[in-house]
Amino acid sequence: MKTSLRMLAGSLVAFLLTTSAVMAHHSFAMFDKSIEKVITGTVARWQFNAPHSWLYLNVKNADGTQTLWSFEGSAPQSLLTRGITGATFEPGATVTVSYCPMKDGRPAGGLGWAKLANGTFVNPADGGCDGSPNAIEKWKGWMAKGITSSADATKAVK
Amino acid sequence: MNLDRSIRLGAVVAVSLCALTSARLTLVAQPGVFGGGYGPPLAVVPPPKAFATSEEHYKFLLTSAKGGTKHTITSVPRWDGLWVTAGNTHMNSFIDPPGFAGKVREGVLTPPYEKAYRERWRQQQELGEVQYDRLTHCEPPGYPRWLLEPYSHEFVNLPQESYLINDFGPGIRRIYIGQEHKNVFGTHSWYGDTIGFWDGDKLITNTKYLLPADFTRWSPMTSNQFESVETWQLKKYPSDVERLEVQVTFYDRHAFVKPVNAVYAFRRGKELEAAGHRVQHWECETSNNDVFDKGTTTSRLPGEAGFKDARGTTLFPELPGQSRDPIYNTTLPSAKESK
Repeated sequence: MKTSLRMLAGSLVAFLLTTSAVMAHHSFAMFDKSIEKVITGTVARWQFNAPHSWLYLNVKNADGTQTLWSFEGSAPQSLLTRGITGATFEPGATVTVSYCPMKDGRPAGGLGWAKLANGTFVNPADGGCDGSPNAIEKWKGWMAKGITSSADATKAVK
Repeated sequence: MNLDRSIRLGAVVAVSLCALTSARLTLVAQPGVFGGGYGPPLAVVPPPKAFATSEEHYKFLLTSAKGGTKHTITSVPRWDGLWVTAGNTHMNSFIDPPGFAGKVREGVLTPPYEKAYRERWRQQQELGEVQYDRLTHCEPPGYPRWLLEPYSHEFVNLPQESYLINDFGPGIRRIYIGQEHKNVFGTHSWYGDTIGFWDGDKLITNTKYLLPADFTRWSPMTSNQFESVETWQLKKYPSDVERLEVQVTFYDRHAFVKPVNAVYAFRRGKELEAAGHRVQHWECETSNNDVFDKGTTTSRLPGEAGFKDARGTTLFPELPGQSRDPIYNTTLPSAKESK
């Protein structure tokens, strides 16, 4: 029962955060919010800019090559109240993030949560993906099982 | 799970869903948009009578105030510090019932503007987002959108002039106290020309000479004949609620069948001040994305032609110190523009 209540409370918080986030100023329709993925890379730049921040990560591919990924987050005015500043993602630092991929398949997405090198989770999300505490808790369980995609998590449950 | 637990869980789910629905309605209903829900519900105070033009309205208020209060530097009301939006009611005039599930009210907008708005509203409801937003083309919010843009605001009152600053661009409105309208440029602009006077602690303004714009991207568009009369007043409510409220009457002979009234509000942004926020200029390059059918977009990534790097270098990279990221000095790949 307590777990159910916690989940419901978490869902409510996530819902409210998401609902308020989509009041930001432009469209997030280019992100597929039905899928969440996790990826790890090193910070190429943390562009702490208004009206939308961008986190750029260099990600190693299986064949040894590297791809520069781009993730859109919220505005500094909102992030500052969540404890995120222009120094949160320093160039070269290793970061794991959740994201909702771009519908057109390019290496980019709406930013969800981010796990810093020291293990701390932060929520830089805007309306493009879910970075709420509830999403973080959900993903902690999935990542412990080696899951990197919500689609795989769904299959695992089935 | 036994029956008792099932019933309890069901009740919790039902209550939670109600709370969820209620919360969502509160947030998306217009009083809840852009910071709404702070303090008592916002109430529109319509003008004392109908006026044909904003100028007629403004002059009536000026006469009623016997020419206005002549404040000095020590008596002019102070609204120092950072402010954030605390809701508004503007969509109540256009959508029934308020919220994203509502329908466009008939007879508020003129036929061509109502037709245009119905398409905008269709996109908002069916796609969840409008496909085109002026701001993604680096247009400033302009007026009246200035009134509801979230993030932060600053209001500086001097006896002869007030500066109303929006942390978006930033966009600065100047209120010329006790003056007449001027338009030496012979054209209209994003924030127009605003004159005003004080009536005690109330700031009354009249804005005209505006460019066509909109209330926001899911709201009606406005024409180049859009004008307004505003009454700004700092109000205090129980539980230490302090709110800067703006009663506005909008006039637009192209867009409205008759003038539209709304109230906008701001509250002190204490959490932003505590976090060290200071108003800066924004790089509009980072938000250029129209989205088309099937998810294609005008958004450009590093290395792609057309990508605009907000923290790249200037056009003179060979000179030392031309990076726009001087602390971390990062670079992103860019494609050369074809000549």
